[in-house]
Amino acid sequence: MSMSSLAIQTNEINLEYVEQVKKRQRMKNLLKGVLFLLPSIILFSAFVFYPMIRTIYLSFFLTNTSGVTTVFVGLENYINLFKSPIFLKNIQSTFLFVLYTVPATVIISLFLAIIASEKLKGIGFFRTIFSSTMGISVAAASVFWMFLFNPTMGLLNQLLKSIGVEPIGWLTDPNWALLSVSVTTIWMNIGFTFLVLLGGLQSINSYLYESADIEGAGYFYKLRRITIPMLSPTLFFAITVSIINAFQTFGQIDILTQGGPQNETNLIVYSIYREAFVNYQFGSASAQAVVLFIMILFLTAIQFKLGERKVHYQ
Amino acid sequence: MKKLFTMLMIGFVLLLTACNSSGKGSAETASSGASQGKQVVTFWHSMSGAGQETLKQIVEDYNHSQDKVQVNAEFQGTYDEALTKFHSVAGTKSAPTIMQVFEIGTKSMINSGHIVPIQTFIDAENYDISGLEKNIINYYTVDDKLYSMPFNSSTPVMYYNKDAFKKAGLDPEKPPQTFEEIEKASKAITKSNKGMKGFALQAYGWLVEELIANQGALLMNNDNGRSDTPTKVGFSKEEGKAIFEWVKRMNDDGTFANYGTNEDNMMAGFLAGDVSMFLQSSANARDVIDNAPFEVGVGFLPHPQNKERHGVVIGGASLWMIDGKPKAEQQAAWDFMKYLQTPEVQAKWHVGTGYFAINPAAYDEQIVKEAYGKMPQLQVTVNQLQSTKSSYATQGAIMDMIPEGRKIFETALETVYNGGNVDKAYDEAVKQFNAAIKQANAARGK
Amino acid sequence: MTMSFRKKIIFYVLLSVSALILFAPTIMAVVMSLMTSQDILTGSAPSRLILDNFIQTFEHFPLLQFLLNSFIVSIVITIGQILLSSLAAYAFVFLEFKGREFLFYLFIATMMVPFEASVIPNFHTIRDIGWIDTYQGLTIPFFATAFGAFLLRQNFKQIPKELREASQIAGMGHFKFYLTVVMPVAKSSLVTLGIYGFLTSWNMYLWPLLSTTNDSVRTVQIGLKQLQSQEQLNQWGVMMAGAVIVIIPTLILLFLGQKKLQKGLTEGALK
Repeated sequence: MSMSSLAIQTNEINLEYVEQVKKRQRMKNLLKGVLFLLPSIILFSAFVFYPMIRTIYLSFFLTNTSGVTTVFVGLENYINLFKSPIFLKNIQSTFLFVLYTVPATVIISLFLAIIASEKLKGIGFFRTIFSSTMGISVAAASVFWMFLFNPTMGLLNQLLKSIGVEPIGWLTDPNWALLSVSVTTIWMNIGFTFLVLLGGLQSINSYLYESADIEGAGYFYKLRRITIPMLSPTLFFAITVSIINAFQTFGQIDILTQGGPQNETNLIVYSIYREAFVNYQFGSASAQAVVLFIMILFLTAIQFKLGERKVHYQ
Repeated sequence: MKKLFTMLMIGFVLLLTACNSSGKGSAETASSGASQGKQVVTFWHSMSGAGQETLKQIVEDYNHSQDKVQVNAEFQGTYDEALTKFHSVAGTKSAPTIMQVFEIGTKSMINSGHIVPIQTFIDAENYDISGLEKNIINYYTVDDKLYSMPFNSSTPVMYYNKDAFKKAGLDPEKPPQTFEEIEKASKAITKSNKGMKGFALQAYGWLVEELIANQGALLMNNDNGRSDTPTKVGFSKEEGKAIFEWVKRMNDDGTFANYGTNEDNMMAGFLAGDVSMFLQSSANARDVIDNAPFEVGVGFLPHPQNKERHGVVIGGASLWMIDGKPKAEQQAAWDFMKYLQTPEVQAKWHVGTGYFAINPAAYDEQIVKEAYGKMPQLQVTVNQLQSTKSSYATQGAIMDMIPEGRKIFETALETVYNGGNVDKAYDEAVKQFNAAIKQANAARGK
Repeated sequence: MTMSFRKKIIFYVLLSVSALILFAPTIMAVVMSLMTSQDILTGSAPSRLILDNFIQTFEHFPLLQFLLNSFIVSIVITIGQILLSSLAAYAFVFLEFKGREFLFYLFIATMMVPFEASVIPNFHTIRDIGWIDTYQGLTIPFFATAFGAFLLRQNFKQIPKELREASQIAGMGHFKFYLTVVMPVAKSSLVTLGIYGFLTSWNMYLWPLLSTTNDSVRTVQIGLKQLQSQEQLNQWGVMMAGAVIVIIPTLILLFLGQKKLQKGLTEGALK
């Protein structure tokens, strides 16, 4: 037996030992990770996963008014959905709504966050105003806008009248309704998005700006080269959350248009609500919920794939 | 950070004590009722705004009028929300004793199996209900059994602006009665009143149902679901399409005002002089008359010229007795229901809200007479109800998919308002309506 | 760094115009809450200002109790969310274990389950464990939030890894590191999450409506709904008064939160 073989042997023992330690370490890490996550996981299981599984289950059945399953119909609920011109239109409206609201909300909020991040006197006042819409509940905000859109007393039409333009049926004209609801939604979401982006702006290291100043960089150069890249994790977060929220818009639809005119604003979540709460078709409502879930899941997955790579972490 | 943390902790502790004390507080009030030997009755309702105010007053009066029963009236959201919630708690201890349900929930309540027909209580003590308004009782009578106690009831009427009528040279005391007369009046009004449209029909399924019934047509087959479960629509193409074509003609004339599905906007438009006639629930009469800066007229629901007027179906809600509660509790609830339909209470209810009195004796009460003295238009709403011909058509349909059916009509109306093709919109609506009936029957597993 | 005068003016103009546009609907609501319904219905400018709408709101439902309930519910949810989300976010950033990515995406997926679809099964759960009409029923289902975990994860990722390494050398355990280093550093995000959690709980409607059957633990949004009439002409003035009462506490919170955020940032734990 030569020296070298002995060395190999001890090496093997060492490796095994290291492997064992690593394994134990991994177990310990897993345990720790789970421990940190446990409270969330328990609550999610009870209040998110369980209802989700139940929803999937219900989507294969017809139900009575109490939501008890009566007839197993297999995929019929899904087939009916995709054969229904109304549901297909709902999907289209939902995507349009996301398209109308998300980019506008993020861009306006970003603009507001940038002008409000300057160190000026009284800036706190402006920041409160800009974030104020976040503090206004969907119910209250919808009531405000319902009045603004009112064809008779509403300020918008009165304004149009005063400049001699025909009044617009903001919520009754199929060409306008979805836009009107979108404007309301953008207004409501600005507050929160603004706050998140402002927080992101302020945690950018001021040293970066100082060195840029020394090099004599202009305002817009700094904006493009420092602010936006450094803000990317926050922007990524804001966009993801905005999209998910837009897909789940409900309250303003219920109060402003109830899905009308001609199902133009019948977004999927509102349609689910009606199907369950008004029509008591829990099977079909569940099928819609599953379709919506898959759609959002798919989109978010793409977003994470494309987005996370571009996002710059310090 | 530490400061923030201590602040939060202090807040948390304060809150916990607040939780405890307030939790105890409510428990105490509940038990104090019971300890005095009062039978507690839970009454779930969906009345908000002015209706809730009047209801609260009546319940309070009842609680003070005797010392055996304590009724707790609890708001549960809109009719839809409340009914969904009821279906979820039916059969558990969270269920109420009395439940207010809108008229189109009748079938779904009967099917739920968690109710006791009111008839049981009527038969048990040979209670006399012959004094109650026949046309209201009819709706809630299924298979010759009165299932629920009518409560807030209303029917649609036509409101019109008398000043605008005068200006257009029309007789303000003779409102148009038929579709065709309304068209003519609308043209005259639009011409002579600047910025005012003639007529508005809210895209509201209930109104379509009423306009069908007024022609003597059934909404669904099998006698509106009264003799057997419906399997398809009961009206003919002519009867159904008459409504859509009528609206279409006015829309084309430029005399029609489109307020979509929004009732409140339409009423505001009427009050502001943007439109001169509209159809809406009689329950709005007081409000409209009170708030209008001009003289308001109330007329009957219109019908096509070639059809006779048959009258209206009752709308609104009724009170249901919930099963699975102790005998004593149900008896107490029954006592409250009987109290509700005494002429005095009904008079208060009628005047306070604009809903009908289910007991016509209430119309002889002093407060009603005074109110009529001030607003004679209120009388018209009662006249229309009482001149309704009893038939399956005016008894109204019972079926559990009516809420869905209403939405279908609303979409079809909106399509026509926005220039869509009548034939297409109507055919599509009927097709969807029939499909919804089929689906509802299938879901019952039959 | 001081700004030139011209630049200042530009910023102030931009700020003021934006603020005016953004705040106009709210100002309108406040004005309307002080108007008579006659003025509102005829669409005229207020002829006189009155407080009747507010008085009516107070008479309509136990407003103070509803406000108190809303406070309790919102604060409990906020604390629960901060605690659970920060723990979860910590695990996602500083702990390396198998299946971490999977768990993170699973968390994110919970955000995609539409609340309106899960509300009925959840209501059944609450009913079965007897939590109807309790604060537990109103709060605990909302403690776990993927949104919070996501927000804090994005923030924790900004904390230099060297900090953890240094703490390990100093023999600091995970929990201690979480409590004494990560939480203070992430203060501004915690405040953001806190504000968000508070406001969303404050504004909940459907869940409090379902999970309560009487006024004892009901929140103020349900009261707001009761101001709107069914089958009756809307009393806009009263509705607006109700809305104004409900948003005042949230605006105050936002203002204070703003200051806190500000302070936390100038203290600058990590620069």
